[in-house]
Amino acid sequence: MRKFNVLSVCGSGTVTSSMIAEKLKEAMEEQGIKITATEAKPTEALQLSEGGNYDFITHTSPLPKGNYPVPTIDAVGFLTGFGEDEFLDEVMRVIKEIESKS
Amino acid sequence: MLDLDLVVLHMEAETSNEIIQNLGALMFSKGYVKDSYIEAVLERERNLPTGLPIGDFCVAIPHTDSGHVNQSNIAITTLKKPSIFHSMVNPEEKLNVEVVFLLAVKDPNLQIQLLKNLMSVFQNKELLIKVRDASSKEEISELLSCLDQ
Repeated sequence: MRKFNVLSVCGSGTVTSSMIAEKLKEAMEEQGIKITATEAKPTEALQLSEGGNYDFITHTSPLPKGNYPVPTIDAVGFLTGFGEDEFLDEVMRVIKEIESKS
Repeated sequence: MLDLDLVVLHMEAETSNEIIQNLGALMFSKGYVKDSYIEAVLERERNLPTGLPIGDFCVAIPHTDSGHVNQSNIAITTLKKPSIFHSMVNPEEKLNVEVVFLLAVKDPNLQIQLLKNLMSVFQNKELLIKVRDASSKEEISELLSCLDQ
């Protein structure tokens, strides 16, 4: 199964990041993709992503400015249900891009 | 799981701070949260607001780190008139929020089901409208019975 590591970011690194991570895992499983997620706060995102362990970042709160080494995807639409399809399309686009490079 | 003492109908409050303080005090009085909780929620809301637009209906889900929580629970209030919270997506943007869910989550990993149920609640605009228009705590409890699983 194709596997991806996601850094799920939200203000407290607990509530909405867990909601997004869980929902994303379910949605991706239907596509045959296994997602492993780690939750974090916005202040931790840059450093964690520089560690090289994550394929992309999803976030509900804005990320601090910086050069993130991986794609970052706004997940609020996924959280509220308004813009869910756009979010999932973007995730699939990022995943395909990552796969085409490896 | 929904504690009716944490449900407030038609709260009269001017600001988001007041709402958080009122609901937080209820949580604290029942021992669900520590004394550092309210301030932590207010601080978080200042920097990383939790207003969410569900179409044209706005809710807010203020919360903070699990370190300030003793036991998970949710306090809910419908407002007498909409109150301003800032948007999670764009902190400069003001939203007229009509229903507020104050969350205390002890361990998100253990409470995935609760979080999923909560997410389906606030993605459901029709349900939110019914909650806003509810005339009793029992009615709200019934509307949100999915949170009891």
